[in-house]
This record gives sequence, C-alpha cells and structure tokens, in this order.
Amino acid sequence: MRYRDNTELQDRLAAEYVLGTLRGRARLRFEGWAREDAALRRRIEAWQERLNPLAEAVSPLRPPRRVWKAIEARLGTDASTPGRDAGRSGFWDSVSFWRATGLVTSGMAAALLVAVAIQKPQVVEVPVERVVKVPVERLVEVESTKMQPAYVAVLRDDAGKIVFLAYANRQSNELWFRRIGMSNPGGGMGYELWALPTEAGEKPRSLGMIPPIEKGTIQLASAADQALGSFPALAITMEPEKGSGGIATGPMIAKGDCQKFW
Amino acid sequence: MEPQQNKELADLLGACGRGDRAAFARLYEATSPKLFGVAIRMLRREDLAEEILQECYVSIWNNARGYSVALSAPMTWMTSIVRNRCLDTLRRPRIEVSLARDEESGEDPLAAIPSEELGPLALLQRSSDAKALADCLAKLEGKMRQAIMLAFFEGMSHSELAEHMQQPLGTVKTWIRRGLERLKSCLGED
Repeated sequence: MRYRDNTELQDRLAAEYVLGTLRGRARLRFEGWAREDAALRRRIEAWQERLNPLAEAVSPLRPPRRVWKAIEARLGTDASTPGRDAGRSGFWDSVSFWRATGLVTSGMAAALLVAVAIQKPQVVEVPVERVVKVPVERLVEVESTKMQPAYVAVLRDDAGKIVFLAYANRQSNELWFRRIGMSNPGGGMGYELWALPTEAGEKPRSLGMIPPIEKGTIQLASAADQALGSFPALAITMEPEKGSGGIATGPMIAKGDCQKFW
Repeated sequence: MEPQQNKELADLLGACGRGDRAAFARLYEATSPKLFGVAIRMLRREDLAEEILQECYVSIWNNARGYSVALSAPMTWMTSIVRNRCLDTLRRPRIEVSLARDEESGEDPLAAIPSEELGPLALLQRSSDAKALADCLAKLEGKMRQAIMLAFFEGMSHSELAEHMQQPLGTVKTWIRRGLERLKSCLGED
C-alpha cells in the first residue's frame, strides 16, 4: 500500500481524519489502517492534540436532564467495574484501550508486566489478571525502582490470549514462570518450553518441561544469558510427560517474543 | 484547558475505569456542556446531539479503563470520541441534517461561525492549551482559516466547503491541506 512508506501522506491523512474532511470509504479505510498501525495512531493522536483545543471556542450548552437519565438507564444500576460496551462503539473510543493492551504485550511493558507478576513479591502482590489492567504510568514507575537486567517473555495461544509468562535474571539459571488458564493435558502428556532461534535452519532448544503447577521455576541448563541470549522467542509444545528428548513432536500451544530487558 | 483541570478530569476518568459511578457523574457534570456544544454545532439538531452525547458517555464509561493521561489529555480524548461520532452521523442522514440547519432557527445557522475575520479566535486566547493554536490560526490567510474552522466546527466535507465558500473543490482542498501543514509547522511539532 502506498501510504505505508509515505509518512508525509500518512500525516496528511491523519490531519484530515481529525479535522473531519476525510470522509466516506476513505475514512473507514483509514481507520482500518490505524487499527493495525500504532505509528499511524500516534500521528492521529498528535493531530488531535493540535486541533481539538479548538473545541474550547464552542459555547458550552448544558444538555437536558433526560440525557443523563438515559445514560444511567443504559449503564444499569449495577455500579460495578465497567465492562466492554456490548453496543456499537466508535473507532476512536477504544483505540487507547487497544493501545494499552498492545503495550503490555510488547517490549518494555511486557517486561514490566512479567516483572510485576513474578519477579518481586515485594514490588506488588496482585494476580496477573489484574496486573494487565494496571495503568501504563504505574508500570513505568516500577521499572525505575526495582528492575534488574532480565529476560522476559509473554506467550500467547492461537487465539491471542496470554497463557504463559516467563522471567529470568540474566545471570541466573532460574526461569520463573506463571501459567494462565492452561489446563494440564493429562494422558501422560505435558508441556515443554522451547527457545526459538533466529535462523530458520537452526533447531529450537528445549528449556525443559513445564511443571504442572500454576507458577514456579524451571532450572535452565546454563545462566539465562547463555540459555536465552540468542533466542528471540519462546514456544510451548505438547509432548510426552518425560519430555520430547530434544526434538519437538507435538502441536505448538503458545508462542511469544523473548526480550532482553536492560 | 488548564493543567489543574486536566489533572482533575484525568483523575475522574481513572476512577471511572475502576468502576466509580459517582466519579462518572462528576465527569459528566464537568464536561457534558462543552461536548454537547461541540455536538450541536456539528449536527445542528438537538435531538441528534442528545443521542450522540448519550452514546459517547456510555462509550467513555466503557473505555475509561483503557484511557491513559500519559497518552492523551482528557478533553482531547473525549472530544475525539464526540467529534468522530458526529462525523459518522453526518455521513449518513446528510440531507435531513442540512434541511434542519436551515429551517429550525430561522437565522443563518452559520452566522456564528468564524469568517475570514479573527473575532471568535479571541475566545481561544482564554485557554492556555488553545492559545498557541489561536495564534497559529491567526497567521493563516483568511480563506484558509475559514475553511479549517468550518470543517472543524461544522463538520463540513470538502464539497460542502466548496459550495459554502463558492470556490472550486480543488481550491478548497488545497486550502485545507496547506492550512494544516502550516498549522503543524507553526505549532512547532513534528
């Protein structure tokens, strides 16, 4: 697509998208791109920051009371945590939500997620399911105070759901893990953890069987620097309980990037 | 929007994200008049604007958890939601809305809209966020500024702008494009 390598065009489209002169199918197509492209969303946000202060010039007008009544009726009397809107939702409404979700799956934020979840109970003791919702600013705070050089990985299943978190200090032989909603296969089968190499020709390296418990550690054959340093990703396959013997045979259950965090 | 107010709104949004309905009520109190103003101005119909406002606040509540002040100022985020929804609506019943614009008030619906003159920009000077933007808008040629402001406030498309300003479509598109480029460089960001 032409727009992908043309940042000037991207910026122009982002500007007209925010101004509102990008219309019809072009607008929808552009929203489609923005869903896929974080850099493009940042351009849109930059234009929102530039142009939206114009709204300050609009005279405020108090809406009739019935609008608030209708909103309350829509939300119901249940004042619990907001759920996802079952009704129609505009593109922009949830974009920052996606972005926040995207952040915790990649790079630094993934590292922080794992760090918060596993590394240091004294940092913050909360279930992983809740950590995912910690605002990005709070994650960043943790980074500045408690992190040590480490490898971290967030593995997702086919449906994109996070099912496995891994963390290892770079000098340590211990890999901490946490399984999320992964049931044990049974029938003499288990899960094996693999480090995936960069080169297509190279073989994945087994890191060992994952104990059938929710969280714990796996002993690496060497310090994390040697065991993980040259492997950009981790994966899990289903194998006989005693291990595959070094060559993966079963289906891949989950996969995700393994990042250096320092 | 002043920093203090930004902070308060961000805190309210954060509380909404944690399911605090009282905070949501305060957020609505604080922001709905401005956002209703934005919607009415774009849609020119109160019934539609009420409907949009209702949808937007439901959406704000439902998405508050994903909101981060580090990434977007509260009013910027909420204004985007409202303007976007208005633009969606304008895209659909275009004729209906246009008629309503002319019939309802009896006055020229565009009378209050910034023309080539600078008048309404003075309003922006009151807000620190908007001041830089107002200064940069003031530096644009009159027609360029008018085109941009009509598009922003009225939700006019290129062809509506061409018709309203009685200019060829290509000319209006160029004004918008150049005007936006100049705003960006004037605001000194990349």
